[in-house]
Amino acid sequence: MEAALKAIAEPRRRQILRLVRDDELSAGEIASNFDVTRPAVSQHLNVLKEAGLVSERRNGTRRLYRARPEGLAALKDFLEEFWDVRLAALKREAEKEERKKHGRNS
Amino acid sequence: MDATAETTSVERTLSIAASPETVWGFLVDPDKATRWMGTACTFDAQPGGLYRCEVIPGHTARGEFVELDPPHRLVFTWGWENEEGVPPGSSTVEIELTADETGTNLHFLHNLSSAEAAQSHSVGWDHYLPRLEIAAAGRDPGKDPWIAQAPSM
Repeated sequence: MEAALKAIAEPRRRQILRLVRDDELSAGEIASNFDVTRPAVSQHLNVLKEAGLVSERRNGTRRLYRARPEGLAALKDFLEEFWDVRLAALKREAEKEERKKHGRNS
Repeated sequence: MDATAETTSVERTLSIAASPETVWGFLVDPDKATRWMGTACTFDAQPGGLYRCEVIPGHTARGEFVELDPPHRLVFTWGWENEEGVPPGSSTVEIELTADETGTNLHFLHNLSSAEAAQSHSVGWDHYLPRLEIAAAGRDPGKDPWIAQAPSM
């Protein structure tokens, strides 16, 4: 997890992640999106790969990169936390309302 | 639902010391819904009617009421408006209320197909990457506004 945090702390690497979120791209294709050198992109890709944030696949002489679907797990975590907080608030408010209806104090 | 499609779901059961009628009001009455759900809600509580709730400024949940059986069962579609992740209509929320001795047993189920989610998990990325960046830099990103923002009393 720490490697992942360090990996995405670099803005360029976050841009790369977004780029390969939906498309599998080669290092060259990724580099063409930025004003950085190809070796710099390769270095970023290595960091992302080691952090487990992108996968690498060989296709002939090309290496293709794609974001790993951890985002899905993050989404589930997010929704669970989101609803837990909301539902706790629903419970609190509905119980408060019920007490009010029966003229009791909280 | 396609039996082969994996689903990502959030399922919760909670016990509420209030009658199902009272709880139902908080699900379909916009004024009451803002007390637990967001800052401004617009509901047209009938099948096919609009479900729209601004959860925090700039982030609005939108969907459509599908099934209403007061005060027992509510189904609506759900998603984020104008955001890539979990678009409106891409997921379904089902809430079942059962009267019990203490009040209401609430069963909550939020289903989203992983096919949709996998394509659009930018909610996770785009929201969390900047926060992780702050944390990675050794600073406190603070409470997550999407999650920690407690609706006002």
